[in-house]
Amino acid sequence: MKKIAIITCILLFSLLLFSEDVITLNLIEAFSSPYRTPTLKNIIQIFETLNPGVKINVISPPYETAYQKINLMISTEQPLDIVEIGDWNLSALAAMGKLEDLSSYIDSWHEKDDMIEGVLEAAKTYQDIPYLLPHGVFVKALFYRPDILEKYGFKSYPKTMPEMYDTAKKLTESGKNQYGFDFRGKGYPTAFIDIVLTSFFDDIDPNNMYLTTSGEIIFEDPRAIEGLNFYVSLYKDTAPKDSINWGWDEQINAFVSGITPLLFQDPDTTGMLNEMLEPGQYKTAPIPLGVSEKIYPTFGFVGWGIPTYSEHKDLAWKFIKFVSSAEINGYWSKSYGALPILKSVYTYDSYFSSDIFEGWTKMFEDSEHYQFTQYPLDNENWGKWNEFQEKTMQQVLLGKLSVESCLKEWADFWKKAGIK
Amino acid sequence: MKKRKFIFFMLLPTFLLILFIIFYPTISGVLLSFKNYSLFNFKNIEWIGFDNFKEIFSDPFYGNIIWNTVKWVVFSVFFQLILGFILALLMKEPFKGRGIYAGFVFYPWAISGFAIGLSWSWLLNGQFGVINDILMKIGFINEGINFLSDPSLAMFSVILVNVWYGIPFFAIMILASLQTVPDSLYDAAEIDGAGYFTKLFHITIPYIKPTLINTILLRTIWIMNFPDIIYGMTRGGPAGSTEILSVKMINTVFYESDYSKAAAHGVVIVSILFIYTIMYLRLTSKQEFSL
Repeated sequence: MKKIAIITCILLFSLLLFSEDVITLNLIEAFSSPYRTPTLKNIIQIFETLNPGVKINVISPPYETAYQKINLMISTEQPLDIVEIGDWNLSALAAMGKLEDLSSYIDSWHEKDDMIEGVLEAAKTYQDIPYLLPHGVFVKALFYRPDILEKYGFKSYPKTMPEMYDTAKKLTESGKNQYGFDFRGKGYPTAFIDIVLTSFFDDIDPNNMYLTTSGEIIFEDPRAIEGLNFYVSLYKDTAPKDSINWGWDEQINAFVSGITPLLFQDPDTTGMLNEMLEPGQYKTAPIPLGVSEKIYPTFGFVGWGIPTYSEHKDLAWKFIKFVSSAEINGYWSKSYGALPILKSVYTYDSYFSSDIFEGWTKMFEDSEHYQFTQYPLDNENWGKWNEFQEKTMQQVLLGKLSVESCLKEWADFWKKAGIK
Repeated sequence: MKKRKFIFFMLLPTFLLILFIIFYPTISGVLLSFKNYSLFNFKNIEWIGFDNFKEIFSDPFYGNIIWNTVKWVVFSVFFQLILGFILALLMKEPFKGRGIYAGFVFYPWAISGFAIGLSWSWLLNGQFGVINDILMKIGFINEGINFLSDPSLAMFSVILVNVWYGIPFFAIMILASLQTVPDSLYDAAEIDGAGYFTKLFHITIPYIKPTLINTILLRTIWIMNFPDIIYGMTRGGPAGSTEILSVKMINTVFYESDYSKAAAHGVVIVSILFIYTIMYLRLTSKQEFSL
């Protein structure tokens, strides 16, 4: 017994004597998924190999509750060094005063000039300060199934909203369980509703999607009635009725199974579609233009930030910089599906100029028709708005609320929220 | 006196533990409902009185949420009780393979409510749901039924799944209680010429009445506080047609990040349950059953 005790003491002592000091960084991700988390872990492994003595501990809460977990962990100053922040919770986190201003880090980063235009500006949502460095950009595009369109005699994808409606309507044969459009009814359908509605406008404020350039709330404009009526027709005439209750999973399922061959989605959908469909079975196209010949997409983004109370800020930035470097950002974007944040990635990897990315390439090249705008993300009613808009929109689709009354409620909501 | 002191000190740890794990969070939750603790407001938290309550009661959807909650609780408890009772009566009589059969019957109770909600949302999907597929193959329908997207069917669907989920609990509780009814009572009743239903209403039910009362009370509280199935299946939609109080509370946290308002919803739920419990116990304690 005595011998064992002595040997144990010697072992422990030598372990303490010869062990290196290991710094552990705690990283929390917001968008964990079976496709993305392994990629992040691979990147971390490379970083750890290149930086001996640094370990990164990944916290991956379930996607549905991730924002809440992050918000609570930061508000209670739980040990975190790198935090994933989405555009929709950035302002709330920044308002807490617990996110590090990354200006000085970004200024000294040699790859900053390679960033695609507008991304960093978009990330300065709160008080014009970059509290995060985006690692991926999200812009909606039109996904389509050429095999199914061809079967119905369409040689190309629809280029305008009215054309999309006609195409979708011709594809719809409910008796055969065949529909035209992949509709988003629940789980943040905001961007989907607003892209369709604003396609009837030609004067949307580039700084606020809910205002015209003359400062009027769009929901009080007669063009909004046309836009919302069009949206209702799209649902009633071309989409499965059940899709009023569909989120991302159901949308993807219907697209993959061919029930609905037209879909508005973000680039992260490509990761899953590449696994589930054969090459060439799906392609992307620009979002169809509105009657105004314009369309107003928004830049969604996700990035890494550093909590102000982190004890290893410089090391955390070293990791963020590493993830955002051209090689790693390319690998990350390719396997995950977001659009890369660096211009050079688009040129050195042909994947980003393939058919799969045609929709975004064309939209980025045509700034006259595709005018990027922003949501009032810094308004504290933003979270409330998503639930309210989803519920009231569903009422309209079910015929329980008129388009006019709905728009009045939306206008009142934003007036009360003080966007004007 | 010494004995009293001894008892006091022996009970003290339990008392402190209960105080800490039950009363502290409850009181803290109630206090939270009178503040403006939201994600956008961590720097300026203050006492705002009844503002959160005023806001939730002025929600135009609130009446609908209360009505949905009533439907959800009443129909779920009623059908779980009736079907659980029938199941328990069937399970009471010994038969070959009863153990294996019981395992199958009781298994829904072992699965998480949220997982059940998600699974059933796929089973009942209007386009690629298994239920619709079966109904179509047997020629019962020509087109898929929109169980979860048709507001007139959505509430029925979530209650149906909740009933399926909750039957085993009633069955287990009632079965355990049925096994305590002395056979001598049934023997005596049979000698007097009592039939099946006479025995059921005059012996079985009065005998297991305390179990029934407690189980109904417990299940009512649980079902009212049980958003998992609805959240997994519809998140309260479409257009709020399946939104109950506990789902609203979750939506307030998830969408709005307004913890104080969510706490106010919680206070409303607790208040309703408190009133219900008092009324229910008063009502049931007044009724006398005699064998």
